[in-house]
Amino acid sequence: MTSRPAQIATIAGKEIHYALRTHVLSLLTGFLILAAMVSLTVSSIALHAEYLTYVQSRDLLLSLGKSINDLVPPAFFPLKLLRGFVEHVEIIGAVLGIVLGYRAAAVERGHSTLMLIMTRPLGRTAFLAGKLAGNMVLIVAGLAATFALGALALFVISGVGLGAADLLRIAIVFAAAILYVGSFFLLGFILALGFARLPTALLVAFAVWLTLVLIAPQIGDTMDPDNQVAGGVFRKLGIAKPEEKEILKSFATYETIRDDIEQASPAKHFERFSFAVLGIKDIYNGQPLADVILDRLADLWWLLGIFAGLVLYLFARPLNIARLSKEQ
Amino acid sequence: MDPAIGIDRLSKRYGSLAALDNLTLEIDRSEIFGFLGHNGAGKTTTINILTTLLAPTSGSASICGCDVVADSMKARQHIGYVPENVRLYDSMTARDNLLFFARLSGVREPSQRIGEVLAILDCPELATKRVGDMSKGQRQRIGLAQAILHRPDVLFLDEPTSGLDPLGIKTLRDLIVKLNRTLGMTIFMNTHLISEVSKTCTSIGVLNHGRLAYRDTIAGVLARFGDDQTLEELYLSLTPAAAA
Repeated sequence: MTSRPAQIATIAGKEIHYALRTHVLSLLTGFLILAAMVSLTVSSIALHAEYLTYVQSRDLLLSLGKSINDLVPPAFFPLKLLRGFVEHVEIIGAVLGIVLGYRAAAVERGHSTLMLIMTRPLGRTAFLAGKLAGNMVLIVAGLAATFALGALALFVISGVGLGAADLLRIAIVFAAAILYVGSFFLLGFILALGFARLPTALLVAFAVWLTLVLIAPQIGDTMDPDNQVAGGVFRKLGIAKPEEKEILKSFATYETIRDDIEQASPAKHFERFSFAVLGIKDIYNGQPLADVILDRLADLWWLLGIFAGLVLYLFARPLNIARLSKEQ
Repeated sequence: MDPAIGIDRLSKRYGSLAALDNLTLEIDRSEIFGFLGHNGAGKTTTINILTTLLAPTSGSASICGCDVVADSMKARQHIGYVPENVRLYDSMTARDNLLFFARLSGVREPSQRIGEVLAILDCPELATKRVGDMSKGQRQRIGLAQAILHRPDVLFLDEPTSGLDPLGIKTLRDLIVKLNRTLGMTIFMNTHLISEVSKTCTSIGVLNHGRLAYRDTIAGVLARFGDDQTLEELYLSLTPAAAA
């Protein structure tokens, strides 16, 4: 009889082999990389436009013989260009996770191989662990390619070399992305193992994706009083942060509801954490990394909690004989 | 020596529906047992319990003396299984599919064993072919190959000739007999094809609404009733649902 680690490695190896054979991973990752590159390019064009406006204003003032002391040059933080990149990982990365998770179960059910595997001297836990391990390797590889190309493109587009501190921040967001995409893999896998009809499982998975990744964060953003005016209503009115907090105390219930809607979305936790670590959110820009992580620790716990909760559920739930093949 | 398959007062209920009702059956080693019955008679439920996929509501079953519930991991070492319409991983070659199942089953020197098994099944040329490009008959052979890689004592086949053309049926039938005669494998075959049973099996059981309605050797059946036609009539008389 084969040892359990060897069985897990066999299942994981087959997952990787099969995914590479069917090109599903390369197609999805390619799409994610393409979208991320487009967003980086658009961000850099916007930055260049901002810079050109500054240069034109400066030249105009100088030609008029006026002082340029009051003209603030645009701040340049290369990691801020990753805003669209993070948003694409948030949306397309979740789709990648769901598709991999759905496939991991649907292929076995559709080909009657799940029944065959379950009649081998192999525990359910080893089977699930192998599936999880193999697909997490695929997710890590896909995200690693995306983040590596993102960092490279950032360097090429911005023309500014990234320091070790910048790379560390990108690496931390990469780790958070693994948890985030991994959670959606688990969602797709659990649903495809549990539903009688595979198309229903896929439909439910995408309904959850739509709700958690697109609708909930959008509702939260729309309900945010500070988002009602471009640039922030409090900022436009010249209201300082302490006063802003004081004002918001009057809307405590409203804010709680709004925040709860956002908290329900793993996408929002990933976004909040990533925007803080990369300094995309202004209040975290230039802050020491440790302070930023401490401040956004709750988001990290949420991401970890969702991933761990889904893993626990996957292993605790017995496999239903009626869901071992597509026909039953 | 323990029988290849021992079933003792086995029942399986789904709510108020009794899929299996107090089934008791013993199948000796090296038999080819044909399990007949109408659709919904409980044949697949029986195979699912014997292959450890499903737990019975009551009663017990064992494979070569290993209880399928209490000692399921050991029981699994004794069995090979080919479900109905097995497809395997269609983007992978037959060899890659077989390597996967050989490793899962702990087969030593899997590459060499795959060569041996494909030779036994007269299809070494299929090794490098993608399963997705194979005919149904070829896929069925590779399905059979994965089931015997680890030299099981008992082979379970669920409607093995379903969807095959006449030549495919004959080829598979010959292979089943070959596996039984040359490797001494006990074969438990679910089917509702009388012709298949009379040409392949050494004994039969007829299941009707979860109950064993008849059990005899093929030699006994033929001695008692004569030819295939009579066997069919016997089957229909024992399973009124099928006759209807």
